[in-house]
Amino acid sequence: MNTTTTRGIEYLSQSRRRLLVAAALAGYPVAVAVLAALKHTGLNRWLILALYLLLLLPTVATLAVSIRYARGRIDGRCARLDERDLALRQQAYALSHRVLAAILIAVTAVTEIYLTSGNTLQLDASTFWPATMWVIVYIPALPSLMLAWIEADQPADA
Amino acid sequence: MPDGQRRVHNRLAVLRAERGLSRKQLADKLGINYQTIGYIERGDYNPSLELALTIAELFRLPIEAIFSLKPMTPLSEEIFRESPAETR
Repeated sequence: MNTTTTRGIEYLSQSRRRLLVAAALAGYPVAVAVLAALKHTGLNRWLILALYLLLLLPTVATLAVSIRYARGRIDGRCARLDERDLALRQQAYALSHRVLAAILIAVTAVTEIYLTSGNTLQLDASTFWPATMWVIVYIPALPSLMLAWIEADQPADA
Repeated sequence: MPDGQRRVHNRLAVLRAERGLSRKQLADKLGINYQTIGYIERGDYNPSLELALTIAELFRLPIEAIFSLKPMTPLSEEIFRESPAETR
């Protein structure tokens, strides 16, 4: 294990962590939206795929850093969680629930408005795939992301 | 600190320095992570009643001498106020 990297991640300031979390949360939907938009252009399929992967790269990286930051504290695998860690974990789960509820309400409302406006929604494997991926990746990662979001800056060593 | 929670002021940093304890040493005595000491000292985390009582027991002081809902006055000022005759 690279202790320098671990220490670096551990000591990331709250503002930087929040940027990473925001990038991790926004990255995938942006990549999917860009992919959907590029599909309708005459661009080469491989070029579209390359652009999509290029857009996904920062998302994966920021997601990995955020998860790494909370590692062991969300899943309870850390041997010594003290009362502050446990309180923080509770707050992270509560905030995850609120964020998830807000996202689900927003998606349901937008879909409802779209459908009641006379449009139809064709659901097939390729349309549903991004939603499946989002659920698989983000729902388990959300508490870690929220922990990275809420934890205050580490006090300076003394 | 969670929204709506009152800040608990404390003298932990002063007491720790007075006894020459590092955050790590104090944390080891209390069985918590050393960062938690820093968060308590900075007022970013309010300890549980159990932890606050353990800290008071460790320093052999009444809990109100370490934790307060009001900002703490300097210890020297309090000592002077309590025993002016002795200082004269």
